[in-house]
Amino acid sequence: MTNRILTKDKKVRQLNQSFVLIIIIAGLCIIATVVNPRFLRITNIINIFQQISVLGIIASGVGMLLISGDIDISVGQQVSLIGIILAMIIQKIGGIPANAPNAWLSGWAIPMAIVVSFAVGILLGIFNGLVVIKSKASSFIITLGSATVFKGLALLISGGSSYMLFNRFATLGRGRIFSIIPIAILFLLGVVIMSHILLKYFKFGRFLYALGGNKKAAFVSGINVNKVTLTSFIMVGVFDALAALILISRVGSALATTGDAFSLDALAAAVVGGVPIIGGKGNALNIFLGVVLIGLISNALVIMNINPYLRDVAIGLLIIIAVSISAISDQRK
Amino acid sequence: MESGNILEAINLSKSYPGVQALDSVNFLLKRGEVHAIVGQNGAGKSTFIEILAGSIQPDSGSIIIDGQDYVRLDPSQSIERSIQTVHQDNQLIEELSVAENIYLYNLPQTKLGFVNISLCIRHADDLLDRLGIETRSNIKISSLTFVEKKLISIAKAFSRKAKILILDEPTASLDIEGEKILFDIIRRNAEKGLSIIYISHDLGEIFEVCDRVTVLKDGKKIAAHDVKNVEMETIVHEMIGRSSHSLYTRVLNTARIKSDEKLEIIDYSRYKVVDHVSFSVRKGEIFGIGGLVGSGRTELARIIIGLDKKDSGKLVFCGKDITPSSPYDSIKKGIGYLTENRKDDGLVVIRPIFENISMARFARDRHIPYLELKKERTTTEEIASQLQIKTPSISQLVINLSGGNQQKVVLAKWLYANSEIILFDEPTVGVDVGSKSEIYHLIDNLVQQGKIIIIISSDYLELSSVCDRVGIMRFGKLITILEGAQINEENILKNSLGVTMEDN
Repeated sequence: MTNRILTKDKKVRQLNQSFVLIIIIAGLCIIATVVNPRFLRITNIINIFQQISVLGIIASGVGMLLISGDIDISVGQQVSLIGIILAMIIQKIGGIPANAPNAWLSGWAIPMAIVVSFAVGILLGIFNGLVVIKSKASSFIITLGSATVFKGLALLISGGSSYMLFNRFATLGRGRIFSIIPIAILFLLGVVIMSHILLKYFKFGRFLYALGGNKKAAFVSGINVNKVTLTSFIMVGVFDALAALILISRVGSALATTGDAFSLDALAAAVVGGVPIIGGKGNALNIFLGVVLIGLISNALVIMNINPYLRDVAIGLLIIIAVSISAISDQRK
Repeated sequence: MESGNILEAINLSKSYPGVQALDSVNFLLKRGEVHAIVGQNGAGKSTFIEILAGSIQPDSGSIIIDGQDYVRLDPSQSIERSIQTVHQDNQLIEELSVAENIYLYNLPQTKLGFVNISLCIRHADDLLDRLGIETRSNIKISSLTFVEKKLISIAKAFSRKAKILILDEPTASLDIEGEKILFDIIRRNAEKGLSIIYISHDLGEIFEVCDRVTVLKDGKKIAAHDVKNVEMETIVHEMIGRSSHSLYTRVLNTARIKSDEKLEIIDYSRYKVVDHVSFSVRKGEIFGIGGLVGSGRTELARIIIGLDKKDSGKLVFCGKDITPSSPYDSIKKGIGYLTENRKDDGLVVIRPIFENISMARFARDRHIPYLELKKERTTTEEIASQLQIKTPSISQLVINLSGGNQQKVVLAKWLYANSEIILFDEPTVGVDVGSKSEIYHLIDNLVQQGKIIIIISSDYLELSSVCDRVGIMRFGKLITILEGAQINEENILKNSLGVTMEDN
């Protein structure tokens, strides 16, 4: 009898997570619309989704890693490093339009840049994953270190200067299908749906929950814990590479620090989306709602003509509130 | 009210939505009395002691402590009235010393406001001496054994000048020597006037150390007896409404499929913990491993399945070398391991039942990357109902199940993984009497199917009633293997303590 009651409670609580997020998102939309009706225009809505596409892809990766009980706070620096390498390849091999480039070689610049980007993403993931596994240290501290390493590498190879794409490789970030739907949004939705399927219908996803819930029990049950951990760090790297492609394509140039801010924003989105910092719970759709909420705050502040610097204050408070609410509801068990 | 009563509970009731956890329970505790509360899981024992500790408020009824009437207690009132609880699980801080842990609530200070560590250690050593605990108080908790930690938890409760001490399953996972020290402490302090409420699953203990016993069932008080004037049979009967006969007789003593196919454990060693252990188990046989806590039993299991590194050892099944290199390798080779502490490394308690059950199976069938959710659901549901896991749904989180049902989930996991060889480490710790016999039946069924079973246990009654042969470990060595008529509680105990070996 007790058990039945508890089950209901649990279901209600799980619903709550999505429900609360949707309520907050809807509330924010209403306020923004009242202040400035332009908010609700389809162009603005599409704009919001385009803006969050990079964050959404990064957050999906970090969120899944977080479910497994590990964390990667170097994702922003990974995006920066991959981005600068990408831009350098396109500029160096593709050439600057003023100088007549080697036509044959420049045709290869973009495919090559894409391949290298993913390769670097995989390498960074392997690096983080291996160090975390071998050192058995907390992934928070390890990736804090690697974030600095990646940042340093980006500065080192770029010499601190910015690299322009000169309108090449713009389709991914700026292109629109039927001149309406940005291509980036399709990638975002693809990643979210893929993450959802991975978590729900694949053993890999199930093992992520098991690791986050009780790593020792997962190990004793025969789950190859190290392999799952390594795979999830690599997955984060691959997602970061895709995010870097879209970001640099949209911006049209790269700096050694272009992606840095995403480290905390992605983590914030996952936490606001209901993944506890110790893992074991959470789902891809709620993480996506967390991303939408964060994107919305930025957009709404601009459209309501409020000082955009308030954005960080608002997002910071949102993290504190989200974590507090989940901690309090856990204590009520 | 008699002057000899220190605590009286009158008509205490507490209900949760859908369940009456306590139903008009009356309870009387005399000064200097050791009073046992027994009952199956869900009988209301925990609710009752938590009301006394102030962490749960009753719906109705009253509590009289030393003549003062309370409708409800809060935790600080409870402590103020000198009620101390020793919880089942270790609540000590590993990185602090014994002394600091004992006096954490009120550390002595120097004039400058620093912690007066030497005074603290002096007080703690005095206290430990008085209690007859040999551990010194200046060492870190993390370097203590399990037994010592338990004793320190009890010492901590004593340090607060308890008048009423609540011991919740104090002997869970404690070995015989630890139990002896504990019972000694209990007896001496009861003589000095301390009143003790003693919660336990082990009726034997209660007859050894308690004066009175109150039986709860489904939230109701069934009876209270003087231990001197009651038979164990009666209490068991009152607890479960069945006779103890069905529980303690050797239901498993049926003809087994004996064969020449066997598992050979050859020369397993790990420096300082396991010392060249070899034995073999035939198909269709249950092999028990006894010995005191710390004798290397669990360590042996851990190196067999590849959880810890070994110095030597080979596992041979039907002539084939199947020595596993890791838990994953174990599962592939059909070896399952039920760990001694299900919460620690047996279960993912924040995940649903069915996910826990399917975990090892999924880890084994690595070639299938996706989940067959429907199939998983029906098969895990089947196993759950076969094991009579009491839950309205297998989507229930494991954390919401009782100890006995949690243990069945771990068992279900290894059944679903199709393990041919299963090592059970303390299969019935913290499991109520009813679930215990169900688990024994399940184990028997497995053996009938030709599986190889090894049971490690501190419960000698369990070993003697369930196993065909019992190996005894002492200081990392397998000192003897008892067979047939040699298997009885006394023999297992004597060998574990090394009595027969050293005294002669």
